[in-house]
Amino acid sequence: MICPWHCATEVFVRDDKVIYTRGNENAANKSTRCVKGVASVHLARDPDRLLHPMKRNTKGNFDRISWDDAFSIIAERLQKIKDQDGPEAVAYFWHLDSNPMFSFQLFTQLYGTPNWSGHGAACDQDRRLASLTVYGHPLPTKDFLHSRFVMLWGADPFGSNESLFENRELMTVLKRGAKLVVVDPVRTRTAERAHLWLPIKPGTDGALALAMAYRIVETQSYDQAFCEKYVYGFEQFAEHIQSKGYTPEWAEGITGIARETIIDLADEFARTKPAVMDGLKGLVNYSNGLDAFRTIYILNAITANVDGPGNLILKEIAPLGMPIQIPEEEMVTPGRPGLSEAMGYPLAPDIPTQLLPRAVIEKEPYPVKAAFFHIINPAMSDPNTRLFEEMMSKLELSVTIDLYMTEIAQLSEIVLPGASCYEEAQVREGLWSGPQVILAPPAISCRGESKPIYEIMKGLAQKLGYGKYFEWDTWEDWARRTTENLPVSFEELKEKGVWQGELRYHKFKEEGFQTPSGKIEAFSETFQTNGYEPLPVFTEAERVKPDSEYPFQLVNGKMQFHCNVHTQNNPYLMQIEGENWAELNPKDADGLGISDGDRIEVASPLAKASISVRVRDEVQPGLLKVIHGHGFGRRFGSIARGKGTHINPIFDTRVNPVSGGIGYNECKVKIRKIEGI
Amino acid sequence: MQGKNTQNRGDLTYQCGFYFDKEKCVGCRACEVACQIWNDSIQTVKWRSVTSIIRGKYPEITSVNVSLACMHCGDALCIKACPREALSKKEETGIVILDQEKCVGCMLCLWACPFGAPRLGVKGKMEKCDFCDERPPGMKRACEEICPTEAIISGRVGELSQLAKQNVSERLFHEKAPGVILGHENDE
Repeated sequence: MICPWHCATEVFVRDDKVIYTRGNENAANKSTRCVKGVASVHLARDPDRLLHPMKRNTKGNFDRISWDDAFSIIAERLQKIKDQDGPEAVAYFWHLDSNPMFSFQLFTQLYGTPNWSGHGAACDQDRRLASLTVYGHPLPTKDFLHSRFVMLWGADPFGSNESLFENRELMTVLKRGAKLVVVDPVRTRTAERAHLWLPIKPGTDGALALAMAYRIVETQSYDQAFCEKYVYGFEQFAEHIQSKGYTPEWAEGITGIARETIIDLADEFARTKPAVMDGLKGLVNYSNGLDAFRTIYILNAITANVDGPGNLILKEIAPLGMPIQIPEEEMVTPGRPGLSEAMGYPLAPDIPTQLLPRAVIEKEPYPVKAAFFHIINPAMSDPNTRLFEEMMSKLELSVTIDLYMTEIAQLSEIVLPGASCYEEAQVREGLWSGPQVILAPPAISCRGESKPIYEIMKGLAQKLGYGKYFEWDTWEDWARRTTENLPVSFEELKEKGVWQGELRYHKFKEEGFQTPSGKIEAFSETFQTNGYEPLPVFTEAERVKPDSEYPFQLVNGKMQFHCNVHTQNNPYLMQIEGENWAELNPKDADGLGISDGDRIEVASPLAKASISVRVRDEVQPGLLKVIHGHGFGRRFGSIARGKGTHINPIFDTRVNPVSGGIGYNECKVKIRKIEGI
Repeated sequence: MQGKNTQNRGDLTYQCGFYFDKEKCVGCRACEVACQIWNDSIQTVKWRSVTSIIRGKYPEITSVNVSLACMHCGDALCIKACPREALSKKEETGIVILDQEKCVGCMLCLWACPFGAPRLGVKGKMEKCDFCDERPPGMKRACEEICPTEAIISGRVGELSQLAKQNVSERLFHEKAPGVILGHENDE
């Protein structure tokens, strides 16, 4: 409800009220918690929460309805859509759900739509696809504690409070003298801690990575035995980067990073073991981020820095079962391909949500008639959000399950109040590097008429005729089922709140890699079959670059004290930063007569927005960094309302080729000072 | 009254305090908010706060993040400054406690404090860190247990001093060229 990381938590309760929370001492994070996590106690007491199911009337106002009526209306409409258009015309999206298997089983396995998706397109889509392609693993983690050399590309784990145990371990090895290199056009919180900060030209990370690979191949400083045994297509990769001429000289002109620096960096990376390289949004936000990621992952591979101590870890998943038992013959196989494939993105891990309006409005690639949004708010978080407003009016059924009256909820016909993380049971895989299961019992009772997601799915399943599968008296019944294969008793798991298995290294030595070749794939036949480049290349063909009319490159950033569009009604966090802002280098600001704290108008070819500006030396000249998340308009919550700027309308709908991810940084802007404010 | 017993002991190793590692702090402010929420019933203004200082011109920039609350000084100037004897040191821990009954909110303690720790609360009385008074010594303070990078450590000053030495030793253990890290901070 606060962040997709779902850290294991210890909750302090008095008189059915949450009074304090900290990390669960038994889990990898120990007692630590990020600022958003500790402030999240407000979720359980926020008077602005949704408390009753509601339906929008013809005048556009919301009327309170009963749960029974809500379920009946939704089920009836779903039945009708299925009969007329097939189950594929229904799409279900979720983000902050710790128990997503309930909606997966109901909507995908029973109702039969392949269009069930998380928020990946707006998040780690290209990282996930690159990792799946190269390592056959969707979500590698990092074992910083044993690293001697760490290189992070467009990733700011300290700034965004990602995996806390990873951050703590990174800090620990830095104290022990490990080296940290950060590639980012902005001096982030993580760059602050780096021995070497490389303010690269935006969108050119792929060139730097390829040039490092060139140097490592040229000097033969790769691990030959490892490559022969575990890397598929290494010879082709080596030949490819040499024949393409991806030299450090070539990269210097593109990235703005000196040839000598690239050479030194490549040499140091190749000789320092163990080492780890990874990245995140700073690459995903560009149309060419996928191949930058593939190259980075191949660099880890050719230096034998994979799944060992101090490396990127191909996280082992715990043997969690499904909560609902459905006989195989009752499971539905969708008749049509999912939206991703039909849209032309067969390898996309999650549905490109930015293309959903097209599916609804233009019925391309096929009509979508109903959409569900469970704590996901594309009307705030996707690009070109005005298109979403139009889309919502065209749906035959729109349902939002959330804690707040979010922007997407206001545009929905039916709004259902979900329980917060403190009021519902949660059973989930954690993001520790070894297998980790987190079990959190409800800490307090539900507020108003709000319901946990599993009870909402149960109510809906009963009306749809699948009630027999959703049989339980209490949450413990299904929680026992999902955890029965774990080597720990349910009672012990419930008592401790977490189970952690062994962190095993080099699992591939016995199990291979889950790729088509069974090896790490420097050359991807899957890519080749689908008509994509089988070896990573550097291209700026789809890049939106600044020009004389729109001279600034826009880059997105996140706030250290907020999680995307979810925490803006939290008084503790809003007290720290109550609105979002843009950042500009003093050189650029001086040229435009802009001072720190001024309001500026930011205009892209698509739209304009007004935002306050901070003049900062941490930002590369030529860039405008914007922090997204604030700017809620009509309702949401009394604390969030009217604070900050909703910046997303200025972004055009950009789809990263191959992955279908959202190219948030593919945006050029012009800036002017707004006078008289 | 104040400090009478403590001075008789001859050393201050029993004194409790905070160790703060500026190299580890990333300015996330979880400590501020944990302090606020743990002490929700008595805290009306922030007892702990993080200051970030960034200096320099692109791309040569330096910065530091510092999390500060009451330091529970061994020889606390605030105690001497208070005309109402509202401030005193707890005998068994040496932590500085503010008696809200006696305080009139005159802010003389703030004038005296080298760290600007005491703040005037909304009730017109001064407020400051009470070292999570209800937590026994040995247990982590709220700011400490929450800190994602373990930049804040509380304890008896004797132990904290030992910990600081341990941190340096750890680095020497892992560093092949110790000369590099044993230089003075201001060496050019």
